Amino acid sequence: MNRNNTSDYLGHLVFVLAILLGVPAALGFDGFELNTFARYLSLAIVAAALALSWGTAGILNLGQAATFGIGAYVMAMHLKLVASAGNPDGLPDFMGWNNVTSLPWFWQPFQSLGATLALGLALPALMAWAMGIFMFRARITGVFVAIITLAFLVALQLWFIEEQRFTGGQNGLTGLAPLDLFGWQVDTYSLGFYYLVAGCLIAALALGTLILRSKVGLVLRAIREDSQRVRYFGYDVAGYETFVFSTSAAIAGWAGMLYALVLEFASPTYIGVAFSLAIVIWVAVGGRESLVGAAVGAILVNLAEGRLSDLFVESWLLILGVGFILFVLFLPRGLYGLLRQGFDRLARLRMRAAGRDVKPQESAR
Amino acid sequence: MKRRSFLTRLGAASTLGAIGGLSAPAILTGTGRAWAQSGEIPVGLLFSLTGEVAVVERTLHDAAQLAIEEINAAGGINDRLLKVHVEDPASDPATYADRARRLFIRDNCVSVFGSYTSASRQAVLPVVEQRKGLYWYPTLYEGRECSRNIMYGGAVPNQQQQEFVPWLVKNFGGKFYLLGNNYVYPKEENNVCKMLLGQLGGEVLHEEYVPLGHSDFSSVINRIRATGPSVIFSTLVGDSDVAFARQYHAAGFDPEKMPVASLTRSEVEVAAIGGEAAAGHLSSAPYYMGYQSPENERFVEAYKARYGADQVTHFVSEAAYFQVYQFKAALEKLDPAAVTAEAIRDAAVGVTLKAPQGEILVDPNLHTHLWPKIARWKSDGQAEILVQSAERIAPEPYWAYPGETCTGEGLVRG
Repeated sequence: MNRNNTSDYLGHLVFVLAILLGVPAALGFDGFELNTFARYLSLAIVAAALALSWGTAGILNLGQAATFGIGAYVMAMHLKLVASAGNPDGLPDFMGWNNVTSLPWFWQPFQSLGATLALGLALPALMAWAMGIFMFRARITGVFVAIITLAFLVALQLWFIEEQRFTGGQNGLTGLAPLDLFGWQVDTYSLGFYYLVAGCLIAALALGTLILRSKVGLVLRAIREDSQRVRYFGYDVAGYETFVFSTSAAIAGWAGMLYALVLEFASPTYIGVAFSLAIVIWVAVGGRESLVGAAVGAILVNLAEGRLSDLFVESWLLILGVGFILFVLFLPRGLYGLLRQGFDRLARLRMRAAGRDVKPQESAR
Repeated sequence: MKRRSFLTRLGAASTLGAIGGLSAPAILTGTGRAWAQSGEIPVGLLFSLTGEVAVVERTLHDAAQLAIEEINAAGGINDRLLKVHVEDPASDPATYADRARRLFIRDNCVSVFGSYTSASRQAVLPVVEQRKGLYWYPTLYEGRECSRNIMYGGAVPNQQQQEFVPWLVKNFGGKFYLLGNNYVYPKEENNVCKMLLGQLGGEVLHEEYVPLGHSDFSSVINRIRATGPSVIFSTLVGDSDVAFARQYHAAGFDPEKMPVASLTRSEVEVAAIGGEAAAGHLSSAPYYMGYQSPENERFVEAYKARYGADQVTHFVSEAAYFQVYQFKAALEKLDPAAVTAEAIRDAAVGVTLKAPQGEILVDPNLHTHLWPKIARWKSDGQAEILVQSAERIAPEPYWAYPGETCTGEGLVRG
């Protein structure tokens, strides 16, 4: 356990240094490259959010994109209102096209940046909390959680597409103003913006790690292994599950807000099944047992996608797909699992060299 | 160069393993920053080659690519060849936004040709406007947009409808059933149609929107039977249009008495529907593959020679093709040392060109003056042109909205 922690902390340190210093330097502080990488980092946050609920508590949320998308729409609604300030009644253009005559009440709070930032975290968390109560009180687990979250995602996306008057429909929310963050006009191609996203990623990872290392994290891991036994011990299993599910949702909403800033629009595809499954793939590649592993997975897969699509314009998706299959077949615990295995083997060799006989043991549990 | 060092460093730092090795050679694409010296003109193609809209967008890609190849074979523009950067945005708006950044910022393209759907155009818009790029959009669309950084090659509602709807009312009657997919394009087209019907004394019996990709039209067909309209006015796209056309035919309706009048059906959809089910129904578009002009014969022949005899051209791929030539005509007016996207835009205004559909003109509002044609589909999958508009029709993207006009200075209110 201690050994694991040391190598984990070392890994975290390397990761943080790479993100804060290595990457910007390697990118030559080029605005376009920083912007592209900031996008990967915002996706790394949502991957870490999924790892928090899936890796720790065994809750496979196939609808993670729902909470991510809500965050993105919340941010986009604020920026849309800022951009529409010059219109009659401050009404966004698409509402006028859909014969909406006054700003609906649920758009009003997004006039304020503070409320927007709070709601970007609170709305996804509330939504997840409501779902969590319903699912976990009923002791729904495993594949059924996956099915319910997926169904919810599909329903939510349909609603966003159908309610064109309020959501911009298929086109989503476009024509946004740049963000004015308490007097700082955010330029998404700047080093400052890169550090904003990188800072958010590190903060989210720190928050998640804190939870994992606390007693709550221990109980959650116990729930993953045997929820029945934890219940017999008198723990409120549903409460713990709902807590981690909602926290994961809030972090995903946070990531969504940043993503809308990077791409400068919100689209119903952010609430799509394809995107939601992509998050699962990133986490699987990086290793769901580690938040940083999941974040690295998201960054690497997106980096690989970017480079492959540059090289093989016609077949990049195919190559990527084959890669994922190989990954799941040969590295079911992801890159983190591979690293873990390597460390364990190394430690065993060292011990054997020191003349002590140790039994091979299952790692990382 | 920057990326190479980045990857090796990151690869070392975080044990990339297989992926690191894979991405290392990906640095081959050079940046186009020094293009003015290199003697090549960087342009981008941003059409989905994979994903759900790839069926249509690949034909747009092919048509634009054909025009570029023709221009390069003839010696380029002002003795400089076009250097094409091809990207595949995979039918996903976020990927469009990402690839558009690559083309405009990293590859320094002076123009990018791309997009079929409005959603993807909107995804590209922020980076095009910020970076003062020029995006050539070949598709018919709903209008109500007046960007100074997009060249609109397709029809806006007034160009497809101002002759079509009166003609339908005269020949079939004024009782319309409006049917479309649920997104902004069909709604805007129907707003325009309702305005026209109001002027002509027609009426809308029913207005209905189904989700994109919807393919079960039995209840719609029952409603059509119950209401008995004189025209089904359709803005269904893609799979929905194909499914509806087949089910409408199977239900036994006679196109002579109650035709489907579509603004979106082209040779591509008709090929998927099958000639028998499509025959007799009507479309309004500026171009059909069977249109007879020397320019179109050359276009169709070259297209088939390049991509196969079974390929079809249609009203969006024609625009994807002629927009490259509009780009060429604009560049020829410019001093090669002073080429910027905005200079190209300003030079493009007023350019006339003999396109396959007829002689077209770029309006100061950056939309294109076109030649709408009303046609009836035949069982061989081709269109028989019934009415050719007597004159070239000017694009008015805010036609149904008095008080708003798209001009050379952008949108003017009042």
